[in-house]
Amino acid sequence: MFISFALIRITPGDPVATRLGADADPARVASLRAELGLDRDPFTQFGLNLYNFTKGDLGTSLVTGVEVNQIVRISLPITLSYIALSFLGAFLLAIPIGTIIGWWNRAPLVYTFRAITSIIIATPNFFIAMIGILLFSVQRDWAPVFGYEGDFPGNLKYLWLPAAINTLILSAVISRVLLASVVDTKNEEFVETGIIRGVRPARFFTFYILKPSLAPSVVLVSYMMGASLGGTVILETVFSLPGIGRELVQAVLSADYPVVQGILLFFGLITVTLSFLGDLAAYALDRRVKI
Amino acid sequence: MIARFRDFAARPGGFGILAGSTMFLLLAIVGFASPLFMPYRYDELIGEGLEAPSWKHPMGLDQLGRDVLTRVLAAVPADIGIAFLGVSFPLIIGTMIGILLALSKNKVFVSVVRSVIDGINAFPLLIIAIAMVSVLGPGLFNVVIILTLLNWARYARIARTRAIVVLNENYIEAARLMGYSRKRIVLRHVTPNVTSESLAYALSDFILVIVIVSGLSFLGLAARPPAAEWGAMIADGRVFIGEAWWLTVFPGLTLCWAAIALSLMVEGLSRRNRLT
Repeated sequence: MFISFALIRITPGDPVATRLGADADPARVASLRAELGLDRDPFTQFGLNLYNFTKGDLGTSLVTGVEVNQIVRISLPITLSYIALSFLGAFLLAIPIGTIIGWWNRAPLVYTFRAITSIIIATPNFFIAMIGILLFSVQRDWAPVFGYEGDFPGNLKYLWLPAAINTLILSAVISRVLLASVVDTKNEEFVETGIIRGVRPARFFTFYILKPSLAPSVVLVSYMMGASLGGTVILETVFSLPGIGRELVQAVLSADYPVVQGILLFFGLITVTLSFLGDLAAYALDRRVKI
Repeated sequence: MIARFRDFAARPGGFGILAGSTMFLLLAIVGFASPLFMPYRYDELIGEGLEAPSWKHPMGLDQLGRDVLTRVLAAVPADIGIAFLGVSFPLIIGTMIGILLALSKNKVFVSVVRSVIDGINAFPLLIIAIAMVSVLGPGLFNVVIILTLLNWARYARIARTRAIVVLNENYIEAARLMGYSRKRIVLRHVTPNVTSESLAYALSDFILVIVIVSGLSFLGLAARPPAAEWGAMIADGRVFIGEAWWLTVFPGLTLCWAAIALSLMVEGLSRRNRLT
């Protein structure tokens, strides 16, 4: 991880020039450089950076002078709230669809399902998002075209469409994997035992079909969480949500590397943690999985 | 010839492979050849801004009065061409590194390279690509460099896993007993058996890379105006989505066409490989 950490340091762009303007007074430029620690050689800079990082200090933005921790604290909840919403939606949608189609398993239905999901998966998320805006914001006035405001009940108005689009993509991926594993599970002997013993349908579907089939999907979900964090960068730009992804894009465009570095670190931490948790959960569901 | 063709189509996955490759080739040929037969240039201003689609301009005109159809086709070299380069370089470099890793007995080299690979794979690809843009600056050719610098890691991992399996096969042992040189064994026996898997992955990676190229352009980090590129065109159309849907929808549909064609091919191939 520190490799990419170090990469950002060797950027050619000069943030001091961006902050003060091209024709700034040279004395001010020099003093700002000293203040930001840019006058020292790269190795000292990196060492200093590492030292501050161990204390939990990610530095301050070169452009706005706001602490990186502060930026993350404001923007991360927005991103996490709509990602959480979309995963909730994806579970509610993908689990019944995957189980029912997998159990029923008739060729025409499965082919239609596969065709629809592969179209959804192959379509880039920003195009789905634009279609969403076109249908729900322009044609009908159900969602604002872009923007964000306020606290809990008010923000749902802005979050539901991005969340719904993410849900669509996620449930396509998840239900496909779930369907494949449900089809495999159906051939196991304990399923037959369940049928013969006359287990009630609700119990049968939850414990005999769903639970043993869930492990691959759970691993996938933890991977998809990382991937949809990547996708947020684009979705937030489409909807102009002030989330962490948009902060990253803006920081890149203005060569603000402490911010880029800090946000990147958060993404890395989140992805690694999530994939670890996913493996653990898969193991809890199905002890045959090796970590 | 026709009979063989019919056989090919009838075997499992045949439909997907044929339909997908036809769709893809159609787009690629029309796109690459478009400067030869289209009446306008992609950056030529030919009328008032935001003209709705008509017979003369099937996809309408954009905000500056450029023909959207011409631009959509002119974007093919930018998108498919760049994505092709962005897949082939990492494929070649990554596979070579992966094979070297599997052959190498130097513990330090192996563990250093493996931790680099894990480091790169720890991040979502788009995120780390965006971070690299901040280092190299925006531009389509920088995207190729970035993809090469990042994506080799995935190919190296695939090639290494596969090469370890291949190296334990009996035919490698046989080749060694026949006294073939190490070089010959690696080039003629190991490499061909490793690459089949990497090539299959490369095809599905192609979709991902097209989406990343257009996604980066959508964010303004790859293709710069006035260059024609689907992601950038969609981003331009975003402002006018209320009054001019055609600016967004047509480049997007073309992008979908390419992605769906490739995913048909991937699905067809994987079905065929599973059954044989």
